[in-house]
Amino acid sequence: MNAAAELRPRGVPAGARGSLAAAKQVVTLDEAVIEIMSDSGEGAQKCGQSFGSIAARMGNGVWTVEIIPAEIQPPARSVAGASGNRIRIGSKAITNGGDEADLAVAFNEQVLLGRVNAGELRPGCIILLESIWAESPDPKIAAQYAETLARLVAEGYRVHEVPMEHECRALVPDPRKGKNMFVLGMLCNLYSLDMDLAREQIAFIFGKKSAKVMQSNVALLEAGHAWAEQHLDFGFRVPAERATEPQLVINGNTAIGLGVLASGMDICAMYPITPATSASHYLSDVFERAGGIVHQAEDEIAACAFAIGASYTGKVAVTITSGPGYSLKQEGIGLAVMAEIPLVVVNVQRGGPSTGQPTKVEQGDLLTVMFGSHGDAPKVVMAVSTIEDCFYSMITARRIAETFNMVVVVLSDASLATAQQPFKRPEFSEDWLAPPIDQTPVPEGAKPYDWDPVTGLSRRFVPGQPNGMHTLTGLAHDRSSRVAYDPEINEQGMHARSLKLAALQRMLTPPKVFGDPEGDLLVVGWGSTKGAIEESVERLRREGYKVSALHLSFMQPMQPGIKEILQRFRQVITIEANWSDDPRDELIDETNRRFSALAMLLRARYLVDVDCWSEVRGRPIKPGTICEVLRRRLAQEAPRP
Amino acid sequence: MDSQLRAQVVFHLTGRRGHDEAQPTTLAGLRPALMSAYRDLDSLRYDFPVILAHGDGDFAQSLSDAVDAALRAVATPGVSGESLRRRALKIEREIRRLAAHGARGTLLQLWDQAVAALGAGADEAFARDAGRARASLAIDGDVAHCNATLPARFVRHAWRAVQQQKVRAARVRIEQLVIRLENVLRADFARSEAGLAAPALQASFGSAHHGMFDFRAMSHLLSRGGSQSGSRGGLDPPRRRRIEDVLAALKTQRFFPPPGAAGDAAAGQGTHGFEFDSVDAALEAFSRRLPEVAQLLKALQVAELEVAGDYAAVLHDAIFAAFDAGSVVAQDLEFFPDYFVCLAGNSADEHARLTEALSSGVPLKVLVQVTDLVEEGVLGAGHLAFGLRASRLASATMSLDDVFVLQSVAANLLQMRARVERGLRYAGPALFSVYAPPDGGVLPGYLQAAAAMQSRAFPAFTYDPAAGPDLAARFSLENNPQPELDWPIERFRYADQALQAVTEEVAFTFADFAMCDPRLARHFELAPRAAWSEGMIPAQAWLADPPTDPGSAVPFVLAVDDADLLCRLVVDEPLMRAAQRCREAWHRLQQLGGVNDSRAAQLLEREKKAWEDAHRLAAVAAPAAAAAETVVAATPVAEAESARNPDVPYIETIRCSSCNECTQVNPRMFAYDGNKQAYIADLKAGTYRQLVEAAESCQLSIIHPGKPWDPNEPGLEELLERAQPFL
Amino acid sequence: MSTATICLHHLLEEHRELEDYQVGVPRWCKGCGDNAILAAVQRLCRDEGLRPEKTVFVSGIGCSSRLPHYMRTYGFHGIHGRALPIAEGIKLARPDLHVFVNTGDGDCCSIGAAHWIYAIRYNMNLTVLLHDNHIYGLTKKQASPTSPVGTKSNTTPRGSYLDAMSPLTVTLGVQNVSFVAQAVDWIPESLFQIITAAFRHRGLSFVRILQRCPEFVGNMFEPWVHDPQRMLMLAHEDGIKVSPALQKIYRNQVEHDPSNIDRAREIASSDDPIPVGILYRNPEVPCYEDLRRAGMLRTVGSIRSTLESEFDKFTVWP
Repeated sequence: MNAAAELRPRGVPAGARGSLAAAKQVVTLDEAVIEIMSDSGEGAQKCGQSFGSIAARMGNGVWTVEIIPAEIQPPARSVAGASGNRIRIGSKAITNGGDEADLAVAFNEQVLLGRVNAGELRPGCIILLESIWAESPDPKIAAQYAETLARLVAEGYRVHEVPMEHECRALVPDPRKGKNMFVLGMLCNLYSLDMDLAREQIAFIFGKKSAKVMQSNVALLEAGHAWAEQHLDFGFRVPAERATEPQLVINGNTAIGLGVLASGMDICAMYPITPATSASHYLSDVFERAGGIVHQAEDEIAACAFAIGASYTGKVAVTITSGPGYSLKQEGIGLAVMAEIPLVVVNVQRGGPSTGQPTKVEQGDLLTVMFGSHGDAPKVVMAVSTIEDCFYSMITARRIAETFNMVVVVLSDASLATAQQPFKRPEFSEDWLAPPIDQTPVPEGAKPYDWDPVTGLSRRFVPGQPNGMHTLTGLAHDRSSRVAYDPEINEQGMHARSLKLAALQRMLTPPKVFGDPEGDLLVVGWGSTKGAIEESVERLRREGYKVSALHLSFMQPMQPGIKEILQRFRQVITIEANWSDDPRDELIDETNRRFSALAMLLRARYLVDVDCWSEVRGRPIKPGTICEVLRRRLAQEAPRP
Repeated sequence: MDSQLRAQVVFHLTGRRGHDEAQPTTLAGLRPALMSAYRDLDSLRYDFPVILAHGDGDFAQSLSDAVDAALRAVATPGVSGESLRRRALKIEREIRRLAAHGARGTLLQLWDQAVAALGAGADEAFARDAGRARASLAIDGDVAHCNATLPARFVRHAWRAVQQQKVRAARVRIEQLVIRLENVLRADFARSEAGLAAPALQASFGSAHHGMFDFRAMSHLLSRGGSQSGSRGGLDPPRRRRIEDVLAALKTQRFFPPPGAAGDAAAGQGTHGFEFDSVDAALEAFSRRLPEVAQLLKALQVAELEVAGDYAAVLHDAIFAAFDAGSVVAQDLEFFPDYFVCLAGNSADEHARLTEALSSGVPLKVLVQVTDLVEEGVLGAGHLAFGLRASRLASATMSLDDVFVLQSVAANLLQMRARVERGLRYAGPALFSVYAPPDGGVLPGYLQAAAAMQSRAFPAFTYDPAAGPDLAARFSLENNPQPELDWPIERFRYADQALQAVTEEVAFTFADFAMCDPRLARHFELAPRAAWSEGMIPAQAWLADPPTDPGSAVPFVLAVDDADLLCRLVVDEPLMRAAQRCREAWHRLQQLGGVNDSRAAQLLEREKKAWEDAHRLAAVAAPAAAAAETVVAATPVAEAESARNPDVPYIETIRCSSCNECTQVNPRMFAYDGNKQAYIADLKAGTYRQLVEAAESCQLSIIHPGKPWDPNEPGLEELLERAQPFL
Repeated sequence: MSTATICLHHLLEEHRELEDYQVGVPRWCKGCGDNAILAAVQRLCRDEGLRPEKTVFVSGIGCSSRLPHYMRTYGFHGIHGRALPIAEGIKLARPDLHVFVNTGDGDCCSIGAAHWIYAIRYNMNLTVLLHDNHIYGLTKKQASPTSPVGTKSNTTPRGSYLDAMSPLTVTLGVQNVSFVAQAVDWIPESLFQIITAAFRHRGLSFVRILQRCPEFVGNMFEPWVHDPQRMLMLAHEDGIKVSPALQKIYRNQVEHDPSNIDRAREIASSDDPIPVGILYRNPEVPCYEDLRRAGMLRTVGSIRSTLESEFDKFTVWP
């Protein structure tokens, strides 16, 4: 088999003379969604990510999402304990996690149940299930297995039992550690992935380990491939153009970490919180090599204050957090706004309110971020919508913060945090970096808040600059930063801080409409729903609907030209992953309905009758779901605005 | 007196060998008795060969130490590690043999040669052990044996190691300044017109976001800031020019390899070299480069002022305008590499120039390789003036005072490596005078050199001006064997005719050393056992106290022949005279070293006393100072107390907590001093009432109103009443 | 830096007077102890020749925290309780700055308590001055953590209920503590000496300054102000030498070796007589900024190389 592998030309599946080879027919697909799940520690994650990377190298569009167990250390074989990956591959670029899975691999039937009950598998989904449990010495386990198996078959899933452990035993002492590569081999066979690329991938993963480890894993891979070839009479191919340029395969939080690095920011102050922390983990690992520091503060408030202090001395600092942490930072953020200290705040949103759903996705923080902090505290708010965006937004945020002496909040969320999507490897430019701290003397008599009457901008003076001495304060202050008691000056300050948003808005270009510039329905979204929304719009357009989509990256200020765009459609609806009242509820009507955040903003700002649809199920919204919602909407005859 | 003794006396006095012409006038096969033990050096583990180590850490280590270290790391103690240990030592011996026979290469190269030579190919176990030991060798570098080339290789290598560190430090300093200066310019650019132009703004955003912005609009709006007072600012042109000039100077300097250039110390392209083989060449280079030195120094100082924001044109422009080669002081040179000069042989005129050069204060590090301690005297043939000039050079140089001086024989260099390094680090000129015999002598170079030190012909010493104020601190004789004696004395064991083991104490004198030099054969006469007599006196005894009647006795030294048979050599008179001179020279060194020296003792005594005095002074000084303080600090109170005339108003200023109470009552009457503490500035600027009110309002009650100065002020009785508690 | 350059730097040091560090007119009440602290701090700046542009006074909220407004240096008048983390951020980003923190008993020991404990742990090179007047002044007389039990205030009209907390014992109880001293505003001479020692200590120097608030608790310190014998002057050659002039007034003096933490804790727990001087000093405790910044030189090159090597890790090549 090994020898054969060498001789075989690329792309042709292994053992093309296997017993079932004749019977086996390979179906060509545009895309496929695969889920791999195991108890944590069995390596389903690594298997899924490798599968994604191989597909990416073959040129497939790829989106992988981690399946994270709800509990810290779930017992083995528990329904809530599923740990693994959902991988979606396609012939074209893939922008989201997609709909229910077409094929699922489970290392035991219980973790599988979790996904089944959550409705993550489509009807008739192919299931490859580890069969070792049937012969478990523990009668309870054997029974559970039989029972579940029966149920799945009854529910119409196409279940194939796979003796993973038996197959692996021949090759490795501890099959529990080897299964994942065996499964990878099976999947490579079933989806006609290039085995040479697969071997290279294994070499990449285990490169640091001994040649022995690598060989045994390759053996597992090939065994899996051979087994599938001989025992499974089906296969798929998701054809794709070979990728032409190098791509980064990272998740959103890593991208944020790299973005911080690339933006030239020196200091990141944080306090551990899910799901933001992994960004700081990553930074802690690499930042110091570039002369940066990650400071883990005693609490969220301190982290914010620490970052403000660091920013104050001349170079923008960043603090990374999630909902609850953001709430705690609000007072500090107000100070930065009032004193016009640049600051970048990353909020990786999770389910709320309160502790809510720490590991789940939600877009519930938009309004608190925009209007939070007491009083009028204008800040810039950006929302990232792709992994690539996570990277570049940090550079943009730092630049804006420094140029406008403003707080820039970047909104990400739990789904982007752990999702992987290949994107073009960035070409680093020194111009991205923050300029060095300016220590040149300030002209005699210059004022620290010499607000420009048009833009509200002023040049701040930082410690070390001769003649620039002043006491910065969170109190209302005049152009010299002296505490202001008279109403006149208080208004001047408010005015200047507000003008800066207008100035920024004038520097933005109108957002691009996805689809035709006018039509029956415009779907507006922000953040991580971009991929799902645009995919569903695309599907509906193929079905002949006049639907377009508009996705916003700047929530505050909003890009120019939006009102005109909204007005060119008969209906406008936002799709968001946050709460909105269902108009069909008995007590809900126009006067008391609570709209989704973006809908509320658009209605208020543009006086356009924007409707909304949202769900807060803690998981990324599926394009299929959106399609249904929109079809329903288009079916109703809506009044012209 | 028997005839043989007479013959010996004749030889001793005249050098004529009377009767038997068959007498050997060669010393072939003879060596000093004390060296009988060192026939097979290769089998001994001693200082050589040394490894001139690459990289940081110790610049030189003996092969044996390197192997021991490796074994400590890899060989398990006890029997288990035994075979490995044995094999490693076998390899070590082979390497030593190879080196002794002129093999060159790095430790690892020779290691492999040795392993191959020992036929490891055949023996797998051996090969494995060899491999393990090799892998755990902590250092690598050229292997150098003790031969004629050692001094040059050893000292040059040490010099390079020292320079390397210097260069690294200097490069870091320069690079950091460059970065920080460029930062000043970059920071300025961010605010400049160009920095605010659309292209620059666009470049500062990630490509994926360019579509979101209208950079022309951005440029337009951001440039508005310029109209606002002070929102630009920017570098004033002279400063910008200054920074650019300094940057240019730092980037084009040629004393250190430019950033990124490979090989720290090695002169990179365009970078100055610092190794010379004549003093003149070094001096010439030094003075030719002096203007460059000045330029770089200036650049460094301006740069440091600039990055600290401390450059004040009014003040510094003049200073730096005047700064030129003439402004360079010795201490500035410490930053730059030193000038290394390697002199071969002992040429008289070079030595003359040398003394001159060393006294010039130029940071020269000069190595003089002494190859011969014996020269034909001025009187020509037959007359050997034992060339003490070579060994005098060093001691003479000490008189220059601020020159570091080291004298050593090659064999002793490893022992003195720390001092060699000190000398190379010394901020100022240094002289290293090292004796290594030419190769191909009767004895191995190591023994020959060692003998020169043993016999005091070429003692080891250092003079380190940086070590302290007095000779005691600066001068060291350490490494010489038994420095308190005229000649080192060792126990020598042999068997007499009766094959009885005999042990006697034998000194190693200059005569013994001379015996190793075939050219000096004529000064010795072999005395067969038969010819031994009471009249024969060991050379050291003879030198210590010459016989009153020279005709009655002869000095001899002990030697052994190839067969290890003991014999005596009678030494002639001229050689004994040379030995005497050598002994006197040694005595002078001893004096410097404070050995058997009354003056050193006195000096010590004086130093000790001075030290004690100093401390007694310190002891009394402390309270004195305190007392002084009292006088100063206490004055206000003192005055107050003396002036505690309740009629005169005053404030206990020192206790005032600057609370503004009194100054608010009447800012002209009450004022703050330099420390913001209140005193009565002008009594007449206010009323007694204010004085009393202030006293009442003062929370520390340190205001004493005294009596009113204006008897006509209304309501005085009542005020005096109120003032009562504060008087 | 070559000695020549150092000389050139010195050439620059022009002498400054207190007025050069003064700006505006303090808005504190008549007789407020903060005036003494302000004067002492300005004296320190003058005598240590601090460059105004290289000096930052950070404060939180409260009467004490107004101090930066009266200094002609950089100042950061932040938010309630957060002066310390702000100062830490400043110091970590810019070790070249002299950073002072002025905070009150409410600001530091109540709303900012967590930061206080952690500031001691980080031991960054900051000079922290705790203006402790035992009462909330700016908000008009509420009991503070250091108000003696029974203190009548607007929130405790029948007297405060809890025993006062001692900032000294708390600080001395925290790991990494490196400098703790106590001063009182009514002995300006020693106040100045102590603040100077604190400034010169490398690490976080915590100085609790007992400060009179004549407006709201006028008689709080009366007994001590008027009976010098109820002040306990701590003296030591490694600590502070009580000037002879002061000795005349404050005769109650003990030798205390600041390296002795156990003794320091005993002394700290006494509030009558009031100890004045350096209780504890340990110059060996490492500073957080040194631990974090060791030999860091941030260059475009270092960022580029780190970034590219990280990209390589995650790149899938076609």
